Amino acid sequence: MESLANLGDGFLTVLTPINMLWVLIGAVLGTAVGVLPGLGSAMAVALLLPVTFSLDPIGAFIMFAGVLFGGLFGDSISGILMNTPGNSTAIAGTIEGHKMATSGRAAQALATSAIGAFIGGIIASVLVVFFAPRLAELATLFGPAEYLALAVFAFVAISAVVTESVLRGLAALGIGLAISVVGIDGISGASRFTAGVPELFDGIDIVVITVGLLALGEVFSVAAKRGTPDETPLVPSRGRLWLSRREFRLAAPAWLRGTAIGIPFGIIPVGGAEVPTFLAYGTERRLDARRKDSMFGRGAIQGVAGPEAAGNATAGTAMGALLALGLPTSATAAILLAAFRQYGLQPGPLLFERAPDLVWALLASFFVGMVVLLILNLPFAPLWAKLLKVPRHYLYAGISVFAMLGVYATSAKILDLVLVTVIGLIGFLMRRYGLPVAPMLIAIILGPLAETEFRRAMAVSESDPAILVSSPISVTLYVVLLLAVAGAAFQKIRSRRTVAQAIADRQRETV
Amino acid sequence: MSGVIRTVSVTRRAVVVADGFWRRRTGLIVPGLMLVIGLALVVGTVTMRVPDTATSPGPQVFPAIVAALVLVVAVLLAIDVLRRPEAATVEIAQPAAPGDVDDLDLDGEPVERRPTSNHRALLGALGTVVVFIAALTPLGWLLAGAVLFWGIARALGSQRPVFDVFLALAISSIVQLAFSAGLGLNLPPGILEGIF
Repeated sequence: MESLANLGDGFLTVLTPINMLWVLIGAVLGTAVGVLPGLGSAMAVALLLPVTFSLDPIGAFIMFAGVLFGGLFGDSISGILMNTPGNSTAIAGTIEGHKMATSGRAAQALATSAIGAFIGGIIASVLVVFFAPRLAELATLFGPAEYLALAVFAFVAISAVVTESVLRGLAALGIGLAISVVGIDGISGASRFTAGVPELFDGIDIVVITVGLLALGEVFSVAAKRGTPDETPLVPSRGRLWLSRREFRLAAPAWLRGTAIGIPFGIIPVGGAEVPTFLAYGTERRLDARRKDSMFGRGAIQGVAGPEAAGNATAGTAMGALLALGLPTSATAAILLAAFRQYGLQPGPLLFERAPDLVWALLASFFVGMVVLLILNLPFAPLWAKLLKVPRHYLYAGISVFAMLGVYATSAKILDLVLVTVIGLIGFLMRRYGLPVAPMLIAIILGPLAETEFRRAMAVSESDPAILVSSPISVTLYVVLLLAVAGAAFQKIRSRRTVAQAIADRQRETV
Repeated sequence: MSGVIRTVSVTRRAVVVADGFWRRRTGLIVPGLMLVIGLALVVGTVTMRVPDTATSPGPQVFPAIVAALVLVVAVLLAIDVLRRPEAATVEIAQPAAPGDVDDLDLDGEPVERRPTSNHRALLGALGTVVVFIAALTPLGWLLAGAVLFWGIARALGSQRPVFDVFLALAISSIVQLAFSAGLGLNLPPGILEGIF
């Protein structure tokens, strides 16, 4: 019950008029960025990170909660309306959601998605409130070797499990690790790969990397696609907003099943919500196949409800893992970790002791953020679609201006603007040739941690590598990692078949 | 359709182009880039000046591991691109004819096609960003930001250059007012110093 009292204190901190304003602004901006084609929740958080530095930490994190959940919902809006999910986690919900939209049920698809996200997120957050402190106690058992095992776990999981091509995932991971070693080495003081440029001594700022990779890379990518067949068309939204009782009865169990599937995946760091969303999609599809009039392939409401709930449930418990273990399990969580560091806070077991007011305020703001989003989005979902009526060239011109502003505002260094352009070009190449972005972000965030823990462990053991696999925890982690890779390979083949089936069905219809 | 970018009414037709060996393997840019990164890591690691106080394992171990990873993956990726090139087919936009079906050949089978890039638009966007960076300190945020907005909009297909000038200046001014005057960010004033 201690957790409840702490959460109560958190709510008292959060529920002030000015903080409510921040969460509202965050939710609106997050949804607005998430809605834009190609830009997702990770971009929303990255773009708004510099802006929040002028706030106090509590205000900033409350705004982040709004941005995060707003961005997640925005991912689904653009997926449902335009078939361009803002994030890979929204793909599974897009398959049926976009079909609902093209058959004139866009508003219902959006409502199903919003309610599903709300249910999944709330249930996951409740679990985080009760179990994150336990998780943090568990984390105190971790030494350097165990943390290294965790980091390796995250690296391999995100490059091998989540991505289409393991090779391309590893390529992105390698480029990210290379960028992460630039700067002064914290342990020995040696200057590494800086070519003597003093501006590089602190390393390359995470804001530069995220904005370059996600925002500028997307602008270049949109420019390169102009006038080619890959340009994405826009679909207008119409129809009634509220779900009928029959639709609600179909969706309600799917929301709960999706939540149940999504929750465990946020705690085990297998890298993001792609796996659970596709699992939820597969489950709903298989259950629905038993009915006589299966709606799958024609816009089944359960096909939206399940994955959306699963996605947000994973996002919720992933935040718990970030707070308690200091381990980001998705690109968005990685950026959030960077934000914590900007305020001199290190997420992990000690965070609950050192800054409990902040942790509980953040957890409380998750609840507030989700309620605000539901209120904001249920009636206004069709309005968001109107944002897409702004001409695309003005949208992306505006994004470029804000991206450059954000980078310049954090450092006031021209070199950072040059770096952001170079990384933007790398981001374009990655999009063009199918390299995933998430492994690179994880590598940049966790690379320094992996190196430090590796060197600490080796220093303790006087360079005997056996220490890396000497504790039961690290051995377990490596074994689980192997099992997860094998399991994901199996699951991926199956879900790929499911998707291939969906595509084949669609083609059969159109022909 | 008002507000949505107007595109010429075209249908998409898969056209087999007798493409060269390299055109289907432009993906080699990525392993090439990784090769450069890997070699830079190797050179930087070998020439690194390590302080005498450094304890083992020193600052060179981890970069060496990363360099090995980058180089090995670069080679494997290059082999993958060479062995499995992109499709030879590209789509060429042709004047619309009613009843045409996208992405299908005569038998109604989907055609695998290679993505094409609009290099002029890409270079336009990149050039604009370069000009913006060069102009930021001498011209100041307001003018450079307007150049950035105008140039990106133009590269992405805006048809109204004169209207865009005013829109770009308006956006840039709003940002200057909101972030510089409002939130206290330090934006370079440039030649307009003293006015703001």
